[in-house]
Amino acid sequence: MSMTTATGARTARPRASARLADAVSRWAFMAPSAIILAAMLAYPIFYTVQISFARFDLMTFSAVEWVGWDNYRHVLDDYRFWSSLRVTAIYLAFALPLQIVLGFGIAFLINADWRGRGTVRALFIIPMVVAPVVAGGIWRMILDPLWGIVNWLIGLAGFGPLDWFGDPNLAMAAIVIIDTWRWTPFVVLIATAALLALPRDIFEAAEIDGANWWSMLWSITLPLLVPIIAATFVVRWLGAVKMFDIALAATYGGPGGATNVINLFIYEEAFRSLRFAESAAMAVIVLILTMILTGIFLVGSRALEQRN
Amino acid sequence: MVRFYRAASSVSRRALMAGAASAFAVAALAGTAAQAQDAGLGTPEAPVEVRMIANEAFANQWQTLMVPEFNKHYPNIKVVIDGVPYVELLAKSMLDATGPSPTYDIIIADDPWVPQLAEVGALMDLKSAEVAGWTAADYDWADFNAAPLAAGEWKGVQYGVPLRSNMLMMFVNKAHYEKAGVPLPTPAITWQEYLEQAPKLVQDMDGDGKIDAWAIDTYFVREPLTPTIWQTIMNSNGGRLLDDNGKPAFNNEIGIAALETHKKLLEFAPTGAVSHGFSESLQAFRQGLVATMFQWGSVFKGSAIDPKTTTLKPEQVGIQVLPVGSTGPGAHRGIWNGTVSSKSEKKQAAWTVIQWLSSKQGEAWHSATLGVFPARKSTLSSTPAEPWLVPVFDALQQAYNAAEKGQMWRIRHPRSDAAQQILADEVARAMAGQVSAAEALQVAAEKIEKVLN
Repeated sequence: MSMTTATGARTARPRASARLADAVSRWAFMAPSAIILAAMLAYPIFYTVQISFARFDLMTFSAVEWVGWDNYRHVLDDYRFWSSLRVTAIYLAFALPLQIVLGFGIAFLINADWRGRGTVRALFIIPMVVAPVVAGGIWRMILDPLWGIVNWLIGLAGFGPLDWFGDPNLAMAAIVIIDTWRWTPFVVLIATAALLALPRDIFEAAEIDGANWWSMLWSITLPLLVPIIAATFVVRWLGAVKMFDIALAATYGGPGGATNVINLFIYEEAFRSLRFAESAAMAVIVLILTMILTGIFLVGSRALEQRN
Repeated sequence: MVRFYRAASSVSRRALMAGAASAFAVAALAGTAAQAQDAGLGTPEAPVEVRMIANEAFANQWQTLMVPEFNKHYPNIKVVIDGVPYVELLAKSMLDATGPSPTYDIIIADDPWVPQLAEVGALMDLKSAEVAGWTAADYDWADFNAAPLAAGEWKGVQYGVPLRSNMLMMFVNKAHYEKAGVPLPTPAITWQEYLEQAPKLVQDMDGDGKIDAWAIDTYFVREPLTPTIWQTIMNSNGGRLLDDNGKPAFNNEIGIAALETHKKLLEFAPTGAVSHGFSESLQAFRQGLVATMFQWGSVFKGSAIDPKTTTLKPEQVGIQVLPVGSTGPGAHRGIWNGTVSSKSEKKQAAWTVIQWLSSKQGEAWHSATLGVFPARKSTLSSTPAEPWLVPVFDALQQAYNAAEKGQMWRIRHPRSDAAQQILADEVARAMAGQVSAAEALQVAAEKIEKVLN
């Protein structure tokens, strides 16, 4: 008994040291990226939080005095903050579903075997590589009431010129169109990859059973794609919530504040008005809201995956 | 969190005090040595390099044309100019100037920025004894018009000199007036007369039965320069942005009427003009779509003279002050100031650059070669190098006088940009019809009072 215990202790020690060595080597590999992540990601976030609770001194360009919740109170008292949040919600409510539906729809169409689909797929990438400010500027010219081609075409059809950037609803529509033009190809790429990865045997079995195109789409393709659609939605949500450059280039947040999305408002308050502390407070609020909503979307996405 | 912060701040306070004491000692020592250590004007063997941060709109032009001209006089000073987009220029200038060793020796600051930069100690007093020793005997401070020179002043200290003087002016396309049978406007035209003429200037120029020409285009979009139009109307009717105590004074009948006038201009402007700003209104005028434009005077050459950038002929374009209100004509000051960084180690060379460019000789070259507007009375009263400059100089002198009389400039305060952004937001809401002029100004006044205090 005692011999067995001694042997066990002897083997346990090398195992423990092997485990320790294993852990050390794992951490050694992880450490560089962990340190870089901490420096590049965590530090700016903590610094933003610190500024949001402080008075920001322009002379030293740093947070100098603890002011508690003052900056948050200023922000929450400002109707422009709430208005920008509302504008952002409207933009997200229209842009995200549109991009997901269009993206998966286009992917479904170009997934069919037809000549030239490779070229079309390649062309789809172009809007993604155009800088957002350039995209905003180009679309501003395209939609210009006086010189734009869109109004010229509308005129040919006998309709009056549309004031794309002067009417609050049309200005929001313009932002949604430009953003959709830029980001639908991204959804198409993901959707195409997802469609190609679907198991072929299920479709072959359905075909043998006499299922038509619609039945296969509704009963097989879509249910199988639900987790991918949910994941794509979350990825696009995280991208779309940050959007401000298109609004800056196309509408300047106007008319009035009709397209003044929250990140444009934060940008203007920080870099035009030099109100860095208030801007930091707004950024923290938006960060928290985004984290909560992303968490809800992730839970929903997991529930959809498990349902399948 | 609070406890941690207090602990951290108590430590940092001690550290700061110690740091400040050492910094003071070092600064004092450095200060005494500064004059001796300044790089001077360089020599052929050891030229001195000065760096300038400027608006990208003219930085490249200065680098390629102004710097070679300057180097004919001062060959041992190498000037490197970094162009930065306007919207980022103030933040970048502040960030650089407040650092321990700034990159830039010269900061080109827009009209309302001098107080902000001066307040953080970033700028050098250009009339100090030290700088006076580097200033040419014939550098005539009194020759500057008061309005542009005042743009570089804050709390009685001269931190900047006018390098690119600009004024908001009224541009006229005479062909539209002739076609409409409306008498050409003179500098005496009142706002009432202007608004009476405006409907007649919305017309069909090519005879196809469709309206293709409008009376006006200017700033209507949501951006910080749009309130300058409203402010000019208000100033020319005796209104003011701030009272003598620095409190908002625009939320009254004059201010509201001025904003309503600004909004009324939209009725005679091209479709979609509510989203027009600098570029769009300029494009509309240069393409012959509008009879008048309220715009910065510096665009005159590109709008009337240079066939590469305009469809209009020189004889077709007029320039004058904005219409007359109850107290006089309207204008609005927009001066780019040349300033020297207080932490520069090449102050003498930096001052030499902006001193030359703002001197009688430099300003005459700048005006004749690049079409930039001068700030000096002597330049404005002299015979310009180009005939087209004659009416421009006349109008400019009138605009300087109007601006000085009516204090026609943006808020001068360390937080002026925050105030201007609030005005931009509220004027834009009124323009878009989201709120009345009275409500917009009420909100703006409340917010600006908080910001400035």
